[in-house]
Amino acid sequence: MTKTLLITGASKGIGLATVKEFMKKDESVSSIIMVARSSAAYDEAFNALSSDNPRKVNLHKYEHDLAIESDVEALLDNLKLHEQVQIIINNAGFTKPDSIQEIKMADFHTTIAVNLYAPFRIVQGLLMQQKFPETIINIASTAGMNGRSGWLTYSASKAAMINMSQVMKEELAYFGTQVVCLSPGRCATDLRKTLAPDEDPSTIMQPEDVAEIIRLTSSKSGLALDTTNIVVRR
Amino acid sequence: MSAQQYTAIVLNGGFGQRTKANQPKQFIKLNGLPILAYCLLALQKVAEVERILLNFPAGSQAQVEEIVKDFAITKPVEYVEAGATRHESVSKMLDQVKTDWVFIVEAARPFVSAKDFEDLAHSDFKNVSLTLPIPFTVAPVEPSTSEITGSLERDKLRNIQLPQKFWTEDLKKAHLYALEHNIIATEDATLVAQAGLPVHFINGPESNFKITTPFDLALANYMMRGETEYDD
Repeated sequence: MTKTLLITGASKGIGLATVKEFMKKDESVSSIIMVARSSAAYDEAFNALSSDNPRKVNLHKYEHDLAIESDVEALLDNLKLHEQVQIIINNAGFTKPDSIQEIKMADFHTTIAVNLYAPFRIVQGLLMQQKFPETIINIASTAGMNGRSGWLTYSASKAAMINMSQVMKEELAYFGTQVVCLSPGRCATDLRKTLAPDEDPSTIMQPEDVAEIIRLTSSKSGLALDTTNIVVRR
Repeated sequence: MSAQQYTAIVLNGGFGQRTKANQPKQFIKLNGLPILAYCLLALQKVAEVERILLNFPAGSQAQVEEIVKDFAITKPVEYVEAGATRHESVSKMLDQVKTDWVFIVEAARPFVSAKDFEDLAHSDFKNVSLTLPIPFTVAPVEPSTSEITGSLERDKLRNIQLPQKFWTEDLKKAHLYALEHNIIATEDATLVAQAGLPVHFINGPESNFKITTPFDLALANYMMRGETEYDD
């Protein structure tokens, strides 16, 4: 068990569930680098993980805001301390749903920065540190496959994520890197609450369901999933 | 011989007129990466290589340096402007070699792997070239009359590949011999042999072909993408 896993958006939702999933069920992962914006919820989640860690996984807590370019660079500087990163899970997501007339360019910029530029820059930055990951899992969305009214910025950013994953898959095959894009459908997260405030979260897919798929995707048998975009929905 | 240290001479000075692209072929993108990057990435992984000498077509040093930077090549790289011929380029770079051993490779061979260099380094022969058997018939001809003038035993012929490894002193002697006898060599293994020094061959992988024509480029793209797209 020697693999290091990096996951963004690790403080809640699919990210946090994925950290727990790997801590519990993947013995090959010995180190998990968590990245999220600083928040009380993040502190609380991290403390809870640290106190319930029977496998003694090395948990690293980094506080970075991926909407801010210089903060992404600061994250990359921190990653120099880690010899290798075998699994990258680009999970952090941002949305501010508005009609076309209401969209503020600042929000559109933030959406693209978090959902597209940051995952790209993390992969590029690690390659330029001579770190060649075994697996990259990009979390997109079914909204990236079909645009929905009111979700223009989010849908556009996730469509770009799906397409970017295809390019990464082709270019990085030379380095032996498996690139998978997962597109969850409706999943009970805070982001979903922003997109669909009136929905009852207990009736839809749970973050733990997606987390399990993420772990399976990065496993040895998951390597056989030779497709760029995997839809996860219930 | 694995503990020995090598300088890698990377021949990257061609203008690629035969690929018919509007730029030197080593900058053409192959599966998204510039062709030159593949050779550098392979060398980066070879423990025996302590330094890379990289030449460049006149006017393209900045572009070459950018590729070295972008692909995070951490071995020391020195840049030498290309000579008028391949032979002159090797001579110029050879003057700057300080190690006892040298590898020569061409940037236009994107399928070269770290293992190719390691196989050479681990060979007991002193001067060695990767080669391929010739699976077809080669005939001697007289071009001026279009006459086929005899036959050649293909068991006694080999297709010369790169990379090659040389004892630096032997390669220097061979280049001095070339200077004294007015020889412009098209590659170095045969030059070393012409100079009366020992040089041997080992088998190289068939995939390690050199990109020269537009057909080669199409084939290389097919091979690179074959891994991901066309494996059914």
